[in-house]
Amino acid sequence: MELEEMQTVWSKLSDQLETQKKLTNKMIIMMTKEKYRSKINKIAIPEILGTVICYGTIVLILANFSRLDNWYNMLSGLISMTILLILPVLSLRSIHRMKRIDIAKNSYQQTLLSYTRAKKRFKTVAKWGYYLSFVLMFAILPVSAKVLNNKDLIADSKSVWPFVVAIPLAIVFVIFFAKWVMRSYNSSINAAENLIKEISEVDE
Amino acid sequence: MQKESEFTQIVKEHEGVIYKITSIYTDTHEDKKDLYQEIVYQLWKAYDSYRGEAKISTWMYRVALNTAITRFKKEKKRGIQIPMDSLVKRKTEPYDEVFEERLQVVYSHIKRLNELEKGLMLLLLEGKKYEEIALITGLSLTNVGTRISRIKQKLKTQIIK
Repeated sequence: MELEEMQTVWSKLSDQLETQKKLTNKMIIMMTKEKYRSKINKIAIPEILGTVICYGTIVLILANFSRLDNWYNMLSGLISMTILLILPVLSLRSIHRMKRIDIAKNSYQQTLLSYTRAKKRFKTVAKWGYYLSFVLMFAILPVSAKVLNNKDLIADSKSVWPFVVAIPLAIVFVIFFAKWVMRSYNSSINAAENLIKEISEVDE
Repeated sequence: MQKESEFTQIVKEHEGVIYKITSIYTDTHEDKKDLYQEIVYQLWKAYDSYRGEAKISTWMYRVALNTAITRFKKEKKRGIQIPMDSLVKRKTEPYDEVFEERLQVVYSHIKRLNELEKGLMLLLLEGKKYEEIALITGLSLTNVGTRISRIKQKLKTQIIK
């Protein structure tokens, strides 16, 4: 379909819509009220809840840090706390960047550029978030065993067999999981990158 | 009260524009309703900052398009929705099959463009002059021209495909 043909169709659509006006004052006023809005801007709520849980866990580990009485438990504790500290900050910061775009003042190009950059950052953080949470899953195991049950997961094990089975299984899981994360996120990150390039090219 | 009645008047006058933007930037009926409400809300929020430097329609296109592209689709749950099915549904009676089919072709062509081109295409179809397109998009006049000829080229390729 040529552009001119598209314009003809569009103009017919515009004429049709002009004769079908349905908005009432009441509807418009209702839509301007906060409680009727979509929850798009409340996107940070799960992230905020997550942050509270993460920081609560840090406090719990810190309060019981003296119970982590050997190097591997201490190292696991430190790794867990670092991840629990960093992840929420990165996630909330990337959401904040998306939310602070001034759509009333910015032009379409500026908005698109800022938003695509922020979205790319958000997806990258989300991707690394998955990898780090996997590390966290392992790191927190000995810590929680010690903190919650006062049990040393490694020293108190009577047999090596659970490790011999669990470690290869975990490696296989990590490989599949990493592949899935890459597939899910890389295409949208690349698409965002291409769009940024294209918008910036127009800028030059 | 004065502000409210001015605002409702403006939105009513541009109802069709909001409908068309929601049709281009969403794929489902629910998303369409969601975006419709969000656009009206953002227009209301931005209305105080409108100083009359640009035409009201220019300002409106800018805010509505910016809302459409910054809409983050992660959240599945929705807010309380106003019964507005009729707003996002166009009456198609008497049914013109040829027109409806052609309209779907137009939508599908637009949806295959990237976000920047999508906005440009919409403004072009709306019959906006390059100067106004430049004002809304923030692109230079030359860039608008270059970009639009690329879109035309892209459309031709889509037709061949």
